[in-house]
Amino acid sequence: MAQEQLSDVVQRCQAIKDEIFSPEDYDLFLNAGRTCIEQGDSAQVLSILVDEKNKNVVRCMGWNLLGPLVQILLKKEDRNLPHCHAILSYLLEVCNPKELLVGLLEQVEDADSGSIAETLTLLLKPLQTVLLRLGMKKPSSLGMALSTLLSQVARLPVPISKEQEEDDVFGLCRCCTALLEFVKPFVEEIKEIIKDNNRISKDNELRVELLKFCMKSLSEPLLEVQLKDPDTFEKSPLRGFATEILIILSNIGESLPDLLSRNILKKREVPGFLEEEVRYPKESLACMSHLLFVDHITMDIFPAVLSPVFVLQCNMEYIELLLSRTEESHRQKGLELYEKSLIRVEDNSLLVDLLELKTFFSVPQNVVKVMTLCPDQNLRTKGLKVFQLSIDKFNTEAKYKFFRGMLKTSHHAGVEGYIIKNIKNQIEFSLKPGNGNEWFLGKHLLPLLQLVLCLPQGPETDLLQNLDRIMESLNLLRYMLIRDKEWENETGIWTELYKIEDNYLKPLRTGLNMSKAHYEAELKSTKENRSSKDSKAPDYTVSVGNEKLPNMTPEMQIQVLQSALFTFDLIESVLARIEEIIEAKDRPS
Amino acid sequence: MVKHMRGTINKREILGTLVCASDEMSSLEDIFSTNQCPTAVFTSKGTDVTPNSDRGVCKIVKQHGVEGEMPMIGDKVCVHYTGKLLNGKTFDSSFDRKEPFVFNVGKGQVIKAWDIGICSMQKGEVCLLLCKPEYAYGSSGSPPKVPPNATLVFEIELLSFRGEELTEDGGIIRRIKVKGEGYNNPNEGATVNVHLKGWCGGRLFESRDITFVVGESEDEGVPLGVDRAMEKMQKGECCLLYLKPKYGYGKEGKTEYDIESNAELLYEVTLKDFEKAKESWEMDLKEKLERAVLVKQKGTQYFKAGRYNHAVIQYQRIVTWLEMECGAGKEQLQAIQALLLVAHLNLALCYLRLREYSQTVENCDKVMELDPENEKALYRRGEARLLRNEFSLALGDFRQVLQVNSFNRAARSQIVVCQRKIREHHERDKKIYANMFQRFAEHDAKVVKLKRKKEDSGLSDQNKGLKRPRLSQDCS
Repeated sequence: MAQEQLSDVVQRCQAIKDEIFSPEDYDLFLNAGRTCIEQGDSAQVLSILVDEKNKNVVRCMGWNLLGPLVQILLKKEDRNLPHCHAILSYLLEVCNPKELLVGLLEQVEDADSGSIAETLTLLLKPLQTVLLRLGMKKPSSLGMALSTLLSQVARLPVPISKEQEEDDVFGLCRCCTALLEFVKPFVEEIKEIIKDNNRISKDNELRVELLKFCMKSLSEPLLEVQLKDPDTFEKSPLRGFATEILIILSNIGESLPDLLSRNILKKREVPGFLEEEVRYPKESLACMSHLLFVDHITMDIFPAVLSPVFVLQCNMEYIELLLSRTEESHRQKGLELYEKSLIRVEDNSLLVDLLELKTFFSVPQNVVKVMTLCPDQNLRTKGLKVFQLSIDKFNTEAKYKFFRGMLKTSHHAGVEGYIIKNIKNQIEFSLKPGNGNEWFLGKHLLPLLQLVLCLPQGPETDLLQNLDRIMESLNLLRYMLIRDKEWENETGIWTELYKIEDNYLKPLRTGLNMSKAHYEAELKSTKENRSSKDSKAPDYTVSVGNEKLPNMTPEMQIQVLQSALFTFDLIESVLARIEEIIEAKDRPS
Repeated sequence: MVKHMRGTINKREILGTLVCASDEMSSLEDIFSTNQCPTAVFTSKGTDVTPNSDRGVCKIVKQHGVEGEMPMIGDKVCVHYTGKLLNGKTFDSSFDRKEPFVFNVGKGQVIKAWDIGICSMQKGEVCLLLCKPEYAYGSSGSPPKVPPNATLVFEIELLSFRGEELTEDGGIIRRIKVKGEGYNNPNEGATVNVHLKGWCGGRLFESRDITFVVGESEDEGVPLGVDRAMEKMQKGECCLLYLKPKYGYGKEGKTEYDIESNAELLYEVTLKDFEKAKESWEMDLKEKLERAVLVKQKGTQYFKAGRYNHAVIQYQRIVTWLEMECGAGKEQLQAIQALLLVAHLNLALCYLRLREYSQTVENCDKVMELDPENEKALYRRGEARLLRNEFSLALGDFRQVLQVNSFNRAARSQIVVCQRKIREHHERDKKIYANMFQRFAEHDAKVVKLKRKKEDSGLSDQNKGLKRPRLSQDCS
């Protein structure tokens, strides 16, 4: 029935002049063709289509059958498969390539997430054939195709473990590999042009489309991918994909070192000229840099003459971008890139001038955020490690300036405590013979100490909140008073002591006494309440994420109060030791 | 005056030098093939090129280059090289990549040995460099290729070099005589204290100390090119600037200095000191609004004097400051939008005068985002499009002007111009594409019909239509 309809409409259309078919004809053709194919009569459809008399009709209408055809091909029912393939190849040969392209891309776009990989593997070759038939007009069509394909690929889940990558259940790896195969002839075409002319115009349309493809691949999926160690996973398809993308970039006339330094060496732009940003998204370049310096991908074609400080400077732009993201995978990459860029630099070699660059302050601040706020313990630990590494790379003056900046801006007692510990290490180092310097001894040290030895809110400062900071600063003070003898006074601490007593030690003593008295009273009343069994409900409740936390039992309250009192004792013991040393000095011996 | 060179890479030339060099004792292969340790060869034959004379970088010239032509700091140099470790293993070579390596010399982009070594080379010279680790990758090495504490040996050919282009159009070329300190540069609005020397055709026409505000150099008679270079300079830097007329005194020339129309200039600029202006993020909205008013006046002053490039700088500052602001409350929002509207409208006019029509269109579009019926913006966009030969678009703009204000006579006459141009254009096309047009039209009609049909019949839902976003948006 459908078969007759199909041959009817085709026959009728044969007679129509100039191929001006009516919409009704298109409808009939599509419906009849679809029914035939779905019913398994593809052999008959094929025989109608290949009939030489029908060539014109097929040329105009044939592409409509792509939809039903692809559906059958995806189902892989053996009986019809060879005929359907034959129909597809025939259509690819005779129909208008532009229409075929639209038809094929429509199928790619319509694929639901479960069939993306299948659809892509099936249609990439036909798409390539059609694009190659387009000749000179192909760049914009290629761009359209690549953009559609990549958007679909981006919907696929990224494998996390090695096993997942090997199993490739969702097909991301297969798709990536197939995409490389797909772009090959176009890359070859560019390579030919470069070979013949020794250069290529930056604006060559085909080149621009391939560039966009590489850039988009870098931001998605590659930015999400965590590549595995090549020693444990030699034939990783995703590593292969990453490698090929970088090779394509360099094959189409994009020098990798130029891409790396693009953000810090760019020329003055014409205002409002956005094309560059579109062509070279920073996010993609960040991914490229991570691939180069962390995964060492294509390092064999990357020049080994760049200075480590320059590489660090370039990467700072990308590290800043990655660390400012909320996705943990991006932050992880940011930390890795920061670590690897720092490792290349000699210890104590980064000059203070570098701190004039915005990124050299913003990146450590972002690292601090990761260290203090990130929910993932591993990232926090890694953050701290990299933070220390970055301090180690600065020279003495830069360390000094960096510490000052961090003390002024971090607003986190733990971080401040950590910086103070670093200051102590620097002083310790400087006091050793031959290490003397003007930054951690003498006149420059004292202003830095003023930032360390102070209570932000005087005696009212919350001592528990600021515990880390206070303990470290007392430790530092005690260390200096013992290590640097009054008659040597290399650090200058002894001359400054009276000020420190007034501005720090005395208010701290007052605060300590106040806090202790307060907590002791609290403890006493809580104990009394417990013994009188007066378990009245507290005045407030605490809730976290809409979930009410259970009220503290009196036992828990007592525990907390007691541990606070222990803490005060701890502070007091160090403080008392310092007071002792100072007293000993005042006593004429 | 130092001439800058534009070299082309000639494969045969490179091969040639390699061939003739192999006769001598000092080719890379020879050094590694003898029983002698490579460092010993450098000790006996090499010259120390380090400023400290610590033998950290030793050079053996294999082939002399052009006498007197040496790169300056910041120059874009183009080299071919092969790098080996002392054990003879090649760790890197530009020949493997089949393209020369290009970088700015003397700016810390490459290992110290290269910055020193290449600044000592002449154009066309081929040399061998022995680089101690302190001048290369030190104790860290460069994973995965260079191990820690490695001494490196390079064979380098200096193919060409030229000054650094500071603008996309190559209108300002810089060559640095003395490197400045640190990484700090003056920004837009910074106050700079410089010493200037200007030459035209080899004749010194000015030499003076001057203080000016970046972006407002015009007030002190300092050419645009010097002004635009400031953002790339550091304190203490002394550089030569080669300015195209556009960045010098332009078409008008300067009678005061006896400079003719369209003259190229050479400046030597020393940045003695500067004070940065507040960056956008350092100002609160109130301050930005106050400053924007002043900057607008400055822009208008330049515009009236015909200094369109300078006017653009000022108006652009308003956009930079306010583009991302939304203000608190209606009043502030109105103030922001009013300033942005004027800035874009004036930018559009400046660009029209500068014949940068796509910029004009872009700025008019921005105005119309704020005020869709802005008469001036519509008219200016029409003008720009007409000048870009986009006749029907221009026609649409002028017609819209009339809808907003039917008394606009200028728009009326522009419409006549557009229509005439469209007719002329059409006639011409008709001759050229006589029958092709018809075929395209038929094809288009067919596709449209088909699409409509498909949608009507409900076979595909709406978002599966044939229409797709334009490519440029698609990929961005």
